[in-house]
Order: sequence, then structure tokens, then C-alpha cells
Amino acid sequence: METFGLKIIASDRVFYDGRCLSLVIPAPDGEKGILPRHENMVIAIDVGIARMELEECKWTEVAVGTGFAEIVNNRVTLLVDTAERPEEIDIRRAQEQRDRAEEQMRQKQSIQEYYHTQASLARAMNRLRLAQDKKWNL
Amino acid sequence: MANIREIQSRINSVKDTMKITNAMYMISSSKMTQAKKKLADTEPYFYGLQGEISRILRHLPELKHRFFDQRGKIPKEERKIGSIVITADKGLAGAYNHNIVKVEEEILAKPGIHKLFVVGELGRHYFSKRGVEIDTNFRYTVQKPTMHRARDISGAIIDQFLDGELDEVYVVYTRMENSVQADAEVMKLLPLERADFNVMKMPLNMYREEIDLYPSAEDVMDRIVPNYVNGMIYGALVEAYASEHNARMMAMKSATDSAQSLIKELSILYNRARQAAITQEITEVCAGARAQQKK
Repeated sequence: METFGLKIIASDRVFYDGRCLSLVIPAPDGEKGILPRHENMVIAIDVGIARMELEECKWTEVAVGTGFAEIVNNRVTLLVDTAERPEEIDIRRAQEQRDRAEEQMRQKQSIQEYYHTQASLARAMNRLRLAQDKKWNL
Repeated sequence: MANIREIQSRINSVKDTMKITNAMYMISSSKMTQAKKKLADTEPYFYGLQGEISRILRHLPELKHRFFDQRGKIPKEERKIGSIVITADKGLAGAYNHNIVKVEEEILAKPGIHKLFVVGELGRHYFSKRGVEIDTNFRYTVQKPTMHRARDISGAIIDQFLDGELDEVYVVYTRMENSVQADAEVMKLLPLERADFNVMKMPLNMYREEIDLYPSAEDVMDRIVPNYVNGMIYGALVEAYASEHNARMMAMKSATDSAQSLIKELSILYNRARQAAITQEITEVCAGARAQQKK
């Protein structure tokens, strides 16, 4: 099967660098799928779960933060502020992060603080969504 | 010649100080290695962002965006200039803090309404005494730079920029050239300038690939630019952290070295004084004995 080059760069490391069969990313208005020989494009990415098919029918899920994907000449570069595998997520920490954000949401805060907490809450929920139903966390 | 006890206590006090400077040297060197590693880890992300903005600008030369708005209509005297100044939390780092303060003073001398965002206790002290307006809600330390802190800082800055409370934003930090050289530097953060992203001059007849921006160019820029600013601030924080510890390491190394040479000198003095005391005692004993014999 045809593949394309995929590079996922998070702010603290290069998360993945190699070939990929297909990729699904969370765009602001829903998921977007990328197959080999995709048109050249830059797509904005929201906090959410991306899936990449590295071998046939073997999908790997990744929790990503905001950023964007760039597709040029059959090479895809994802630049996101965070990228984590489900097994790297610390459920306890994510829960604490969510609780803290929810607590702050209830208090009076400025618009800027509100957006900030909202983003933090979104990241925490996203982590939990990815990690919670994994068998090692049951 | 000073007496033996005085010299002895002097030697001991120098030795104690040397222990401290030596410990600080080792702490700084280990912290610096960590900081360097952090910096190397973020570099691909950072350069990726920079390359991407330049690519988008290349393909969409007519793109107008609020982050690129130079606000040229505002006269020089009324421009609100914000600077993020990154100093250390404490001294004992050679000329590190002094260099930063000097660069910031140059900015303050220019026309405009200045506002400071100081990271680091030492700079905060200095500028509050000097009577410049400092954002008081802006309390961050320079220890252990994290992405989270950079996000806090860039969030506050971008917000003020978009609200029109700031027209220009600079970062004053120390960039590490290599392990012996570090320079205090000013970096313009906002508004972004096209010239910064060295837009390549391409021949007109060359085919350029078309790039679609999804959902829209504005949306994509809205995501890239805050991340870019965030990355710049994070990079500056880490660079400053690494150079602070490098400066402290060098300062502490030279302090330890000079303490060692001081101890060497003092111990020679001490030995001389001891020798003199012994000689004197012997002379006294001999003189006493001879006086006894003569009786």
C-alpha cells in the first residue's frame, strides 16, 4: 500500500517520524482524514484525538493539543503543542487537572482567565477521553 | 606581621566561602546541562513554526492579519511599548543581570509609553526603584522554565496586544552563543514583521505549489501565531535560564579559583608567622639558658 511521510513535532520533542498509511486529525469543524497523495494544504488542529495507521489495520491514537498540519508533496508535518500516547497519560494527573479547571470555572474570573481555564479543561478532558477506557486503567 | 590566630581565622573563613562557591558552581553546571537539553528538545518545533509562517507568507503575500498590523498611524510618542525583561532571581552571576538592565535602559530611553513585564526577582527590584511602570500581576520566576509558564506569559501579552494596550512587544533576554559567550539581546515579538521570516525571492517564471489553508487563512494564522509567540517566549526563557547558570558557573569558578590562590598566599604568610614565632621562642630559650650558664 502507498504511504506518506509523517512527522509529528510536539513542543517538547519530536513525537513521531516515519511512514504512515493514513491519518485522521481533529480540525476545528470535525475530523479530517489524510491519505497518501493528498492535496497541498495547511489545516488547523484543535484539541482532540488524532489516529494514525502505521501498519495496515493497526491504528495508533494520539492525544494532541492545538496546532496545525501541513501537507506538502506527500509529506505531512504536524506541529502541535502537545502529543501523547494513551499509555503516557497519567489518569490521576489528568483528573486533578480537570477538577482544578472546573473549580476555577465556577469562580469569577476575567475573560482571559476564562479562556485559559477553558483550554486547560479541554486538554484534561481530551486526555481522559483517550486514556480512560484503556484496559490497563480499568 | 599579623598574628597567627588572625591569619588562621582568615584562612578558615575563605575556606568556608570556597565551599559555598564550589557548591553553587556544581549546582549551576548541572542545571545548565538540563536547560541545554530542554532547549535542544524544543528546537525542531520552534524552527518548524518559523518555517511554516515564512512558507505561508510566501504563498499568500497579500495576507492581512491582526498580528502583522504595524499600527503605523500611532505617532512615536504615543506608542505603548511593552518589554518582557528576563533577569535572574538573585545575583552572584557576574555581569549577567547588569547586561540585561543596560539593554533595557536603552529601550526605555526611546520615545513612547513604556511598560515592563519583568521575569525574575532582581530585575523587579531594580526597575521598581527606578520608577518605571511594571505590570504587577506579572509574577513569574525564572527557575525551571516550563511550557505552561510560557503559555501564561504569552496569553497575557497577546491579550494586551489585541486589546490595543500594547502596540509593540519586545523580549530582552540573554542568548547563549556558546559556553563562553552570552549576549544580552532584544527580540521583537509583536507585531510580526514580514522581513523577519526571510521571504525568499523567487524568479517569476518558477512554478509554485499551491497551498490551501483550511478552514481559512485567518483561522490557520490564529493558531500558528499564538503558538509561535509562545514558542519564542519559551525559547527565550530557556536560553536565559541556560545563560544565567552559565554565567553563575563561570563567576563561581573564578571565585573558587581566587579563593584557592588566596588560601595559598595566606598559608605562606601563616607558615612564615609560625616560623618566626618558633625562631623567636628558640632565641628566647637560648638566651635564657646562656644567662643561666653565666651565673
